[in-house]
Amino acid sequence: MRVVCAMSGGVDSSIAAALMVEAGHDVVGMTMALYDASGSQRKGRGGTCCSPAEIDLARWVCERLGIPHYTVDERERFQAEVIDDFVREYAAGRTPNPCARCNEHVKFGPLLARARALGAERLITGHYARIEGRPSVPELWRASDPSKDQSYFLFAMGRVALEHVEFPLGTWTKDLVRAKARAIGMPNADAPDSQELCFVPSGDHGDVIEARAAALGLDMTRFEPGELVDPHGTVLGEHRGIHRLTVGQRRGLAIAGDKPKYVLKVLPEQRRAVVGDVEALAIRELVVEDFRRMVELADHESIAASVQVRHRGAPSAAEIELDGSVARVRFVEPVRAVAPGQAAVVYAGDRVLGGGWIREALG
Amino acid sequence: MIDLDHAATTPLDPRVREAMFELLGDPEAQGNPSSVHRGGQRARALVEQARRRVAAALGVEPLDVTFTSGGTESDALALLGAARALRAAGQPSAVLTSPIEHAAVLESTAQLAAEGHGRVFVAVDDRGRIGQDDLLEALDRHPEVGLVSLAAANHELGNHYPIPAFVAALRAHRPDLLIHCDAVQAFGKRAVDFSTWGVDLLSVSSHKIHGPKGAGALIQRKSLALAPLWRGTQERGRRGGTENPLALHGFGVAAELAGEELGERADRVAVLLVRLRSILAAIDGACIEGDPEYGSGRTTVMASFANCSGELLAINLDLEGIAVSTGAACSAGTLEPSRVLLALGHPRERAASALRFSIGHDNHPDHLDRLADVLPGLVERVRSAFR
Repeated sequence: MRVVCAMSGGVDSSIAAALMVEAGHDVVGMTMALYDASGSQRKGRGGTCCSPAEIDLARWVCERLGIPHYTVDERERFQAEVIDDFVREYAAGRTPNPCARCNEHVKFGPLLARARALGAERLITGHYARIEGRPSVPELWRASDPSKDQSYFLFAMGRVALEHVEFPLGTWTKDLVRAKARAIGMPNADAPDSQELCFVPSGDHGDVIEARAAALGLDMTRFEPGELVDPHGTVLGEHRGIHRLTVGQRRGLAIAGDKPKYVLKVLPEQRRAVVGDVEALAIRELVVEDFRRMVELADHESIAASVQVRHRGAPSAAEIELDGSVARVRFVEPVRAVAPGQAAVVYAGDRVLGGGWIREALG
Repeated sequence: MIDLDHAATTPLDPRVREAMFELLGDPEAQGNPSSVHRGGQRARALVEQARRRVAAALGVEPLDVTFTSGGTESDALALLGAARALRAAGQPSAVLTSPIEHAAVLESTAQLAAEGHGRVFVAVDDRGRIGQDDLLEALDRHPEVGLVSLAAANHELGNHYPIPAFVAALRAHRPDLLIHCDAVQAFGKRAVDFSTWGVDLLSVSSHKIHGPKGAGALIQRKSLALAPLWRGTQERGRRGGTENPLALHGFGVAAELAGEELGERADRVAVLLVRLRSILAAIDGACIEGDPEYGSGRTTVMASFANCSGELLAINLDLEGIAVSTGAACSAGTLEPSRVLLALGHPRERAASALRFSIGHDNHPDHLDRLADVLPGLVERVRSAFR
């Protein structure tokens, strides 16, 4: 069977490809060039996913595996669907999730079409997640290793993609992957995990947003410094711009006082952020938009399940009321610090039932 | 692998390889050509033998040949060297060229523009043809032009241009012009005769004529003094740096063979080209780009495929063991839409749907049979994946 393996240059996708080669498949390596690293000032550790250095690494890995490798240009799409969305979401006072956007709009859309165009039966990625229930009704499940689970970022890939995608590392641990990489002499066996966003190599997303917002013609006054206020509107201090704030954030707030304060809400029109005590972060209810069903679910249905609202966050028991593409989530126990713009993913145990984007979080 | 990408590079001729192996195995031949001792003398003799061979293949004297690292350096030395020398002599130094030249010429002329010499583009039609009247008109409008640079054959479209006729018309119009011809894609395919053509400067490359990479030459008229890109005593002060006798030896042998076998190679390729064009023309939605007049020496065909990604076709063909190209490759290693089609004003979709097929005398009819077998199905598969 011919398969296309999405290669980031990292150890995970390299081992995913190696496993497919070992299984005797006709493997084609493919890397997407997603952005130009040349223009940005790169501080600290260089080399996040799919930068030119990582593309060279992916090429080298494929050479070692004896498989062909191609780099395809997705810079325009990545800019439009991921980076520009990221900028607009911050301008609207939300905290976007570009990895999930990228999976939906770049990886499992165009890349899957490319794989089909090359006659591949499967698209392989190095994600830590499982697909269970093949061949009749494939479902997205959490990875066996909960500490590496990436199913939270994958809810938007869609059910159709599930039929054509395979995650060989779903039952692996990172330690095993690294050990395997060392054993077969992979050059990236001990490369550090990517932490920051790939298109923000400096780690300072505020600068990236400002530079791009100007190019997009957004109202730049929105990114100017503004006030930090308490829930009654009393001014407590200043912030450096709403795009540098996230709900639940405590660090970097210039507020005097003995009790720590947290960002409760961002009000972009007023360029203000409401701050308050930790107790005020409690969220009981969410309005979730653009909800995708990853299993068979009715248009209108009420389900009891658990909901995860951030990467690596613990799922919380909730009642979810589905109404077309909107989901209303009521937590059994309040959940701390939920940022609009993030994904809300619904799980039944390890099964992903669906997910959507948090529009409102209500206390 | 079936190589239908000869415009990118050509396989080393076995006889060239043999000659190079022989040189590599000879410990007496590894000297520096500038050394006075016998090791140096032997290396010098090899370089000068190569120079005589290249000169003979192009109808010039050995002293007219300056060895370089390849086509790009030859173009840069010709254009930067000529424009800077013209300016130093107080003469007009702007360059007239076409918008569909190879990147080597586009980049060097862009540098000339940045240095304030000026760059003028002649109009080209949507098939990449250049009109003699348009050249003369551009000269009339731009008296600041002192240098003209045109390729003998386009690297993407495969068009061949009537350089001798262009030169005659240009000279009749402006006798003082310096004229450079990038003959990298024409050398070895049709007769390239420097003195008959009447140009002042001419670039050729070794690896496009079944020689090794890393060698090329700039041919220049004797009385012409170029400003060197970098200085040194080698190549009569025209190009500093220790010569590479191994690569130049291979280049010399390849040039000699190209000269000797030109006729039979051209005949062989002409037959293959007819077959290639009919295979491409038979594909639904295919359009053969470039000049529809196929003169002798043509080895390259570019075709666009409506509603189909050229990039994915090229990858598919590679997976089937057939090497072709989409046009340009960017620094990130991705395949880019054809720059030439974009420069001709075609929409991006069309430029991104194009493939360049370029053949050589080492191709066989079975190679094209194989292409005919797989290409229609691949075009259909790529189209249906995006429907």
